[in-house]
Order: sequence, then C-alpha cells, then structure tokens
Amino acid sequence: MLAIQDPFGQLPVPASTFAADIDPLYTFLFATSLFFFGLILAILLYSIVRYRRKHADQPAANNTTHNTALEVVWTLIPTVIVMVVFAWGLVGNMDQQVAPKDAIGYTVRAKKWAWGIIHPGDAKQTPAEMWVPEGKPVRVTMTSEDVLHSFYVPAFRQKRDVVPGVRQILWFEVPEGQGFAGQDFHLFCAEYCGDQHSKMAGTVHVVNQEEFANEPWKGGLPDDPVARGEYWYTKAGCLACHSLDGSRRVGPSYQGIWGREGKLVDGSSYTVDAEYVHESIRKPQAKIVEGYDTAVMTAYDETALSDEDIADIIEWMKTLK
Amino acid sequence: MTTNIPTVDPATSGGVELRKEPSYLRVSSGLWSWLGTLDHKRIGLMYLVGVTAAFLVGGALAFLVRLHLWTPDGALFEPATYNQVFTLHGVFMVFIFIIPAIPASLGNFVLPLMLGAPDVALPRLNLASFYLWCTGTILAIYSIINGAVDTGWTFYTPYSLETGTAVVSMGLGVFVLGFSSIFTGLNFIVTIHKMRARGQTWFKMPLFCWAIYATSVLQVLATPVLGVTVLLLAFEHIYNIGIFDPQYGGDPVLFQHFFWFYSHPAVYIMILPGMGVISEVISVHSRKPLFGYKLIAFSSISIAVISFLVWGHHMFTSGQSEFVMVAFSFLTMFVAIPTAIKVFSWVATIWGGSVALSAPMLYAIAFLIIFTIGGLTGVFLGTLSVDIHLHDTYFVVAHFHAVMMGSTALAFFAGVHHWWPKMFGVMYNETLAKISAVLILVGFNVTFLPQFEMGSLGMPRRYATYVEEFQIYHQISTVGAAILGIGFALMVGYMLASLAGGRRAKANEWGGVTLDWHTPTPPNLYNFDEEPVMTGDLYDYTSGIPDYGKDAPMDKDELAERQAAEGWNA
Ligand code: HEC
Ligand SMILES: [Cu+2]
Repeated sequence: MLAIQDPFGQLPVPASTFAADIDPLYTFLFATSLFFFGLILAILLYSIVRYRRKHADQPAANNTTHNTALEVVWTLIPTVIVMVVFAWGLVGNMDQQVAPKDAIGYTVRAKKWAWGIIHPGDAKQTPAEMWVPEGKPVRVTMTSEDVLHSFYVPAFRQKRDVVPGVRQILWFEVPEGQGFAGQDFHLFCAEYCGDQHSKMAGTVHVVNQEEFANEPWKGGLPDDPVARGEYWYTKAGCLACHSLDGSRRVGPSYQGIWGREGKLVDGSSYTVDAEYVHESIRKPQAKIVEGYDTAVMTAYDETALSDEDIADIIEWMKTLK
Repeated sequence: MTTNIPTVDPATSGGVELRKEPSYLRVSSGLWSWLGTLDHKRIGLMYLVGVTAAFLVGGALAFLVRLHLWTPDGALFEPATYNQVFTLHGVFMVFIFIIPAIPASLGNFVLPLMLGAPDVALPRLNLASFYLWCTGTILAIYSIINGAVDTGWTFYTPYSLETGTAVVSMGLGVFVLGFSSIFTGLNFIVTIHKMRARGQTWFKMPLFCWAIYATSVLQVLATPVLGVTVLLLAFEHIYNIGIFDPQYGGDPVLFQHFFWFYSHPAVYIMILPGMGVISEVISVHSRKPLFGYKLIAFSSISIAVISFLVWGHHMFTSGQSEFVMVAFSFLTMFVAIPTAIKVFSWVATIWGGSVALSAPMLYAIAFLIIFTIGGLTGVFLGTLSVDIHLHDTYFVVAHFHAVMMGSTALAFFAGVHHWWPKMFGVMYNETLAKISAVLILVGFNVTFLPQFEMGSLGMPRRYATYVEEFQIYHQISTVGAAILGIGFALMVGYMLASLAGGRRAKANEWGGVTLDWHTPTPPNLYNFDEEPVMTGDLYDYTSGIPDYGKDAPMDKDELAERQAAEGWNA
C-alpha cells in the first residue's frame, strides 16, 4: 500500500488521510515528468550526436519550420495532462479545505517563536506539543499574536498560514490502525517570521483513542518548581529571545537576572524582583529595558502561562547565576 | 536573408582589411565618453558590468548561505545574520541582477542591431535608466550598512513593518530600480514599433525582439504596482496608515496580493528575455530557421498575458476562498502549455540542423535541460493539493532556482558568450568556456536536485537551522554550490583574459544571419555602414551567410598599433 503510494520514497510518512490522495498524485506528476524529461533529453542528445556539424560549411540536414500535425499534437498532449492534474488536485484540495462536522476542535496560538496548543476541552495552553488521536478528524483554529506564521506538519500533508487578525482553520485525520499511534511528527513554522523562525518547532504525538481519553497533555510536568520553571523557559519560547550565557538575543540575557539592577528607556531604574518579572511577562510593554526599545515581546496571558507557572519561572530565575 | 548591404568593400593595406569607420569602442575615449554616452551599445556594456558585479555579490552571498547550512545548527552565523544574508542574496539577485540582466545589457546592445536601427528610440531615457539602476543599487547597499534587511526579498507584512532593519531605504531602492526597469521597457516598446528596418515586418523580427517586446509590456504595466506596493509599505512603516498592519485595521494578506500582482509577471520579466536569447542561439548554432517561429512568438505574448492572472498561486495556503484557488490553479496550468511548446520547438530546431557544439550552444543546451526541470516541477506547484504540502519548502526554492538561475542566468551567459565577439571583437578561450558550461550544468543539478528531494520531505525554506534528518541533502547541495562557484569563477577568468589577449574575432564568428550579424565587428557608432533593408526571409541560412569565416576588418588606428607592436610595415 505505502509502496504504491510513494514508490520513489520522496515523501514523508503518510500519517494523514490526505496522503492517500496526494501521494499518488505526486507520484503521477513525478512519473509523467520523468517520462517527458527523458523523452526531451533523448531527442536532444540524439539530435546533437546525429546532426553534429562535422565541417565548417555543413548546411542543416533539413530546413523544416513547420509541421502542423506535430504542433497540434504537442499542444494537445500537455493540455490534456495539465487538465487532469488540475482536476485531481482540485478534488484533493476541496477535501483539505473543509473539516467534517464531527471533528474535534483545537485552538493554536502562534507567536514569535512558539506554538501554543489548546487541546479539546481544555482552557490552558500546552507549549509546542500537541497530542492527537488516530481515527478522528481534528479541526485546528489558529490565531497569531504578532506576524505571519504557518502551521505545517509534513507527515500530514497539511499547511495553513496563521495570519494576525484572522482566524484560520485547518484540519486533518490520522488514519486508524496503520501503526501511527505512538509516533511523533514534526510541526514546523513554514512562513518566515524573523530571527528564530527555524526554531519555531513543535511535536505532534499521535496516540490511540483510549490513551487520548486520558488527556496525556496534562501530565508529564516535573514536581520540582525550579525544573518546571526551566520547562516553561524552553517550551514557551522565552529561550528564543533570552539567553542564559549573557549573550544578547532579541531580549536581555537571564544571566544573573535575579536582583539585577538596570535602566528603563524612560531613564528610571529598576530591580528584578517577583513583581517586575510578573509584569514583564503579562505586560512587557509597561517597562521597557534600555537598549531594547525596537524589539518587541508579546504578552503571555493566563491561558499561556498561569500565575503559578510564572511563580515557577521566578523560582527558577532565582537559581540563575 | 539577403539584404542590400554591400559586403564591406575592403580598402586593403598591407594585406589587412580596413573598416570604413572606427568601431563604437574606439570612436571616442575617456571616462566621460562612457559615463555620458548615449550609445545603446556602451550603455549596454555598462549594464553588463553592473549586473555581472551584482551577480557575483549575490552569488557569494548564496555560497555563504550554503556553507552555513552545512550543519543542522548552522555553521557560520547567528540566525539574525543568516536572515540578512539570504535576504540580501534574494534582493541582489532578483532586483539588481536578474530583472535588468538580459533586457538592459544584451537587449540594449543587440535589439537595435537586430532591428537595423542606429540606436534605441530614446537614448537619453536609456542613460537615465542606467543611472536609476545605479541609484537603486546604491540605496540597497546603503540599507546594508544602515542595519540591513531581514525580511526576505518578499517583504511580507506585518513582519516587515516591525523589524528593526532598514526596510524603508531598501524599499526605496526597489522603487527606484523599478523605474529603471520601466524606462527600459518604454524605450524598447517605442524602438520596436518605430525603428525596425525597412522591409522588417513584425513577423520578420527575430524572436529575441519578440521576447523583449513581451517583456517590455510587462515591465511597463506591472512594475508601477511594485512601486505602489513599496510606497504603501513605507507609508505604513512611517505613519501607520493601517493598510497592511492588522494592529491598525490593515490586512497583511493584501500586501501579498499587491506584491505578487507585480512579482508574478516579474517572473516572466525575468524568463522571457532568456527564452528569446535561447531562440537566437539555437537557431544560429544549429544553422537552421526556428521551428514554429509564429507559435514561439505568440507563446511569448500569451505567457505575458496569462502571467497577469496567476499571482494567487503564491498564496494557496494563505486562506483564500476555494473559488479563487480554483481560478488561480486553473489559469496557472495554462502557463505550462506555451512553455512546453517552446521547449518542443527548440528541440525540433536542433533536430536536423547543423549542430555546432560551441560554447554558447553548450550553455543553451544546459538551459534546455534545466528549464525543462523547472517547467515540469512548476506543474507540481500549480496543483492545489500538492502545493499545500510543498508550499514554502525547499521544493519551491529548487523550482524557482531552476527557472531563474538555471534558466534565466544561463540564458544570459549563453547570450554573453554568443555576442561577446560582436561586442568586443575578441574571442575567449572556447575550451575553457565549454568546461565551465559543463561544470555549471553538473553543479546546478548537484545543488538543486537534493533540494527538490528535501522539500518533498518537508524541509521549510528560510531556515537558519534544521532538523538532523535533512543534513545529508544540505551537504550534497553545498558541494554542488562549490562546483557552481568554480564554474562561474572560471567563466569570469577567461572572459577577462580574452579582453586582455584573446584572439581576434571573425567578422561573423558563428555564422548568424539576422541583422545584428550584418554590422561590422565590433559595430560602428551608429551600427551599420549603410541603412539596412530586409528583403529575404528572417532565418535563411541557405542563401549565403554574411562575411562568415572572414577575419573582422581593422580600422586605421588599430592597424598602426599592430604595426608598431609587431614591427612590420604596410
Ligand atoms: C519575541 C521575543 C521574546 C520572547 C519570546 C520573550 N521575551 Fe522577554 N523580553 C523580550 C524583550 C525584547 C525584552 C526587553 C524589552 C522589554 O523590557 O519589554 C524582554 C524582557 C523581558 C524581561 C525583563 C528583562 C530585564 O532584564 O529587565 C523578562 C523578565 C522577560 N522578558 C521574561 C520573559 C519570559 C519569562 C518569557 C517566556 C515566557 C519571555 N520573556 C519571552 C523579548 C522576548
Ligand atoms: Cu513562525
């Protein structure tokens, strides 16, 4: 089955129902292209060898400039092929566009440079990791908090730009019983979004329906608040803008951040304490650190990081040297 | 083709043929005679130097990109720097090199010759367009110093509105470059309408002229939209007027519509002239009239028309309505047909010809091979469901490099090799030229075939770092880029060497029959010894090729120089 879909092994694992349609079409395009490329190349090479100029005054073997039958044929054949391909691609795309009614709903919030996933029936956002059941259509409603992003899971053959100010919808279904449960797939950001664009990645975990019922996205957090703080730092996107080693990224480094004193753009000075960190996360624009007035940090609301999560981050920050 | 041009009556002296007038290269000298020239050939050469320099800069940046991607974490730069490097690569290659490359350098040089005209219709506008090009380029360089740009050459909003880099001055540079392009286009349209030789009807015009005509129409109609777009972007940037920025009620996708309304036709502004060059090169070096001349001419025009109606195919994942998607995909498919017709016609021209494997012909063959790859992979991307998967991956990167670099740039180099003896009266080392053509063909495929593959596997574009499973493809691609680099370096080397001490070119080096080969080599200031009149067929190689095989005649000054240097007397 898989071998027929993608005999040349050019596509990722076919982990969504769309692959059953797109992969054969891709293969058809590839095979047709190979055929025409081979044909053109063969005729070209043959002509070069056969009609090679052997002495300087050699005239052309023939001076034919027309052959109506031939020209009609080579106009019609590509026309027919591209029309077939167009129709085939259109049918597949209609399927990609419209989510079935019984799809389960997710919300994805994109920002520089992290994905936040709100699983069905949940109010809290899980950073960068998404759990989906096999055998159930999934509808994802996406918003962006800053610039364009694009939600792309190659294994699902599905992609949709996330546009600020608009709600974009995308859907897919992982086929049941084909061994995809237990596998992880890359989630990429496919629309350029600045500095850490290539790090705006995530993982999609496919699980079977029983496991999904246990809401696997909820578990797995470390018990130690400091470790949890570090978890938020790496997963919620702080890492992309804040280094730990003193080097300057988009925002100031966290090296020795706790108790650090500094200046704001308005000239006043501040000390990093719990209240300041809390405000920096909830309302980053309220106090802007000197030298960072052109860079932007988007706010993290309750859904993204609860007050308890921020408390974890603060505990972790206290340990940073 | 027969004309009433008498073959140059050689006033012979010391057994050396003398030409009637000094060539355009010798007619005057000094820096100002170049910087202030109104001669289309000198302006063409200045463009040639300029765009080649831009190509080398853009190429060096591309090589840095490839080196950086040797390792998954990025071998050379911080991501912020990487983003600036690939953006500059794109801006240089698209706006400063490829758009003007063929029309402004080869077109300027060759078009009036092919039409039997003494110059373009509006020589001052021509010079103005060159200085606008310089101004735009300086603005682009200024933006690099002034903070660079990290938006990609597409300047998508809202990122381009909030990045701290020099988007406004770069936008201004693009705006000015756009006007340079409009000026060139206008000039060529008027020239083609008004300055064709007596007897040269529209269908006796070489296909290169048809291609330039179609391109010029696109330049004049589409480029203003680019101008409007970057102006709006600048206004949005400075005054937040709320067109593109969702924070102020704007629509970022509107920017994409504006941008691609220009930039899709721009794709054909880039490739059509290349197709024109290839038509000429294949005809001359196969010594055969072009197969399906009218069909090729009409396909140029139809590609130009269709190109205005397909911009939405760059935005299949942006959330356009399904109805719009259907229309854009359907129309996109129609680009494939005239494109296929052209490829078949070129191959049919070679079939049954007298095929010389000269350097220009090798470049043209490399073009044919890569262009076919570029065209075929375009159909993948025009197909809706497949494009959803491939959009914004390396598949797209490889596809447009096949069309832009592997086709337009190669056609440009085929043309430069083809008309070089006409331009300078000297020949480059053809063996080296053949080696570089082969290196470039091989290098191209080693660079870009792995990119198609990793794109299909899901590697997104514009990534400063990547997941490990793609490393092998990136490494092969980087090796290919090194081969390409060697090929191009070799080319620059032997071209420059030919100017210093290449052999004297023949009067008609390749045996062409179009009017450009009826001029003295190199041409006079006003091109022809006598006003040409076309009487016979366009590509007629059977009733005598003008001056084929003869050495190009010298002028008196040259003769004197040679006598002094070689110590002989007339
Ligand atoms: C898009 C980049 C970006 C991301 C992601 C980001 N920040 Fe920031 N952050 C900044 C910038 C820029 C500043 C400095 C300007 C300001 O004060 O608002 C900053 C400032 C701060 C400060 C004040 C630092 C100081 O030295 O005074 C704290 C604390 C902070 N961020 C915490 C976080 C946390 C926690 C996260 C993750 C949950 C995070 N940031 C994610 C860009 C970012
Ligand atoms: Cu992104």
